[in-house]
Amino acid sequence: MNGLGFLSGSQARLFTLAAVVGAVLVALTVPLSSTHAWGNLLIASVYLTTLGLGGAMFVAFGYVTGAGWNVAFRRVPEAMAVTLVVCGVISVGVLALGMHNYAWHAHGEAGTLWFKQMWLSPQFWLVRAVGYLALWSVLSLLIVSVSRRQDRVGGTRLTIANGKLSALFLAVSAVTFSLACFDWLMALTPMWYSTVFAAYQFAGMMQATLATMILIGLALRAPGRPLHGVFTTEHLHDLAKLLLGFSCFWMYLWFSQFMLIWYTDIPEEVAFFVPRESGAWGAVTGMNIFLNWLLPFFVLLPRPSKRSGKIAARVAGAVLLGRWLDLYWIVIPALHQAHPESGSPLVGVAEAGSILLVLGLFTLLVSRTFGKANPVPRQDPLLEESLHYHL
Amino acid sequence: MSSRQLIFASFAHEEDLLEGIRALRRADVKIVDAFTPYAVHGLDRAMGLRPSPLTWVCFVCAMTGVLFALWFEHWSLAVSWPINVGGKPWNSLPSDVPIGFEMAVLLGGFGSVFALLGLCRLFPGKRARLATPRVTNDRFVVVIEETDAVTTPDFVHALLEPHGVVEFEERLAEEKVPW
Repeated sequence: MNGLGFLSGSQARLFTLAAVVGAVLVALTVPLSSTHAWGNLLIASVYLTTLGLGGAMFVAFGYVTGAGWNVAFRRVPEAMAVTLVVCGVISVGVLALGMHNYAWHAHGEAGTLWFKQMWLSPQFWLVRAVGYLALWSVLSLLIVSVSRRQDRVGGTRLTIANGKLSALFLAVSAVTFSLACFDWLMALTPMWYSTVFAAYQFAGMMQATLATMILIGLALRAPGRPLHGVFTTEHLHDLAKLLLGFSCFWMYLWFSQFMLIWYTDIPEEVAFFVPRESGAWGAVTGMNIFLNWLLPFFVLLPRPSKRSGKIAARVAGAVLLGRWLDLYWIVIPALHQAHPESGSPLVGVAEAGSILLVLGLFTLLVSRTFGKANPVPRQDPLLEESLHYHL
Repeated sequence: MSSRQLIFASFAHEEDLLEGIRALRRADVKIVDAFTPYAVHGLDRAMGLRPSPLTWVCFVCAMTGVLFALWFEHWSLAVSWPINVGGKPWNSLPSDVPIGFEMAVLLGGFGSVFALLGLCRLFPGKRARLATPRVTNDRFVVVIEETDAVTTPDFVHALLEPHGVVEFEERLAEEKVPW
């Protein structure tokens, strides 16, 4: 493989073009509304970061549970995990760049609780963001490097070591991911709170991670590609099954969050849903539910569609779009609420730019990192089990 | 009342059973059923069984559950005896969803379990009819029906011999057998 990883030269150029065009499109909308343009950058950076974190968590879940089925294609989520380093730097940049767009920063809307005021002080907020991303990057890089070292060393010792490391990583990231969701997304509406918010974001993150793994796995299993004969229909079946499960989990949490707020009808709580229910945002809400749950649920329910590359790939594409829409649905109405001067939703240029940026940048990064190691963890003691896995 | 000529062939290992079944199917011998102490991986594929209809039973029951619950909640809270709860509209879909979900799970679960019992003809107090007593311990049995003149015990035995058949028995089964 060349330095580009699994992409050919022309494909790499195409994705570079997508990323550059995306960045230019977002930049073009800055004069119109810098808040709106930054909102799209925030969506892109959270999307990229959580794809990396999701990949690292998937690897860690495998190690902690002693799973064998996922070993054959583990280099795919490992490559995703390595992208955390670059995506983390991008995220810190985007967060620092647009901190003034948060209502608690712009209008000092952080309430009167001393702890909340301290928590939402700009310096502490930014230091925390750096801390989360540094922790995730360091721990995922450690797990990936242990896994790669096993290619040379062999044996079971490193599998056990990674099990312990993964447990530590999951414990750390469970807490820090929750805080990151509160800091970056929920704090956009500082007077609104939801205790299941982090779990709901976790469901969305895992959905997108599984969908990405399905797409990469399918792309790499064609004859002549690195995972030919390695990524089997059985692996696809299991990933699609997990995607179906996480779609239901996402819907369950989305609805739990919505129903309790709808039922109690407390003004400071419904303030989150009212702008998202009316007008064009109501259609976005409906589309969000359709892409993230209704479509994956009914399409992936029968066994044959989970085993069909064509159907699974389309559903995975829809879910990836749904994940973007879910973040859009959280970020943009909040920004417009806090900055009425930024105008009505500009559905178009900045959004297209944000999607292209994510698509281009992530594919390039994941391809490059995938090319840096053996496509298959060839000394993993569970590899044979995974290669002959039957559901 | 007709009777069936059945052959009970026992194996000591699951791999032997799988290979034996593959050999039988290659020779177009009719396999009535297979009995194992535990679920043997890949046995359904080796026997060429159709996918279980249980998934569809579960889906239909769950959909019935959710639709019934939504209809009943609407009828009881908004039509038959309208109740004002917290100033919400009478036909409030969000408040109906959790019960719809629960009813889907309840009917889907019960429907699947009872359909499984029905398909396997299991009921409380049913007497166990074992192909061989050791099938609950360490024997893997395949039951073959002598459908024509070619499927003689000798022919079947010759097919299974290379795959380590340990017991071989011909039995006359009266009608109303479960296999």
